[in-house]
Amino acid sequence: MSHFFLMVLYAFLVSAFFTLLWRRRRREQVKLFLQLFLGMVGGGLLVAYLMYPFPQGPPAPIP
Amino acid sequence: MTEPGSTESKSAPALTPVGNPVVAAVAAFLIPGLGHVYLRRWRRGLAFFLLIMVSLWVGWDLHGNLYRVVPNEPLSILGTLGALGMGIPYWVLRTQGYAGDILAAGYEYGTAFLLTAGLMNWLLVLDAWDISRGKKE
Repeated sequence: MSHFFLMVLYAFLVSAFFTLLWRRRRREQVKLFLQLFLGMVGGGLLVAYLMYPFPQGPPAPIP
Repeated sequence: MTEPGSTESKSAPALTPVGNPVVAAVAAFLIPGLGHVYLRRWRRGLAFFLLIMVSLWVGWDLHGNLYRVVPNEPLSILGTLGALGMGIPYWVLRTQGYAGDILAAGYEYGTAFLLTAGLMNWLLVLDAWDISRGKKE
């Protein structure tokens, strides 16, 4: 499973969870789900691009 | 628990208590979604069960860390409390000897999925408690 797929899956699970937890009406559910899901996926991609110019450091030591 | 940004309170009729709050909370804690099933929120309970089980399965499949208390590592207590929220599945994994694999490629992701499963179920416990007390639909 790729990093991107896992990120999308995680965003889907969390968005669906909070949608069901916080909203009851279908229209509100769709709206909140899209806000959360797109916010997480879009935010993740945005942060990824912001980090792109920075050089990668040495791998972290395994404790 | 108040729902951020919700408009329910403006038009929702008065809510009545349902079932026993303690039973609902304990059921929700033991098995994800069971508290909602007990409160006759069948579809929501099933959906919550599936969401948390998928999260748990992915975390397990990626060999993520199932938190347990590690001596001299106080933060592991918080992680353990979070993961414990998944209820019986946590102890099933523990008794099966599952501990995760720090060398696995998906270790960090898996840890996030496992921890999230536990934290989500803690929220379900609170939700079941509130529904049962008539504070939430």
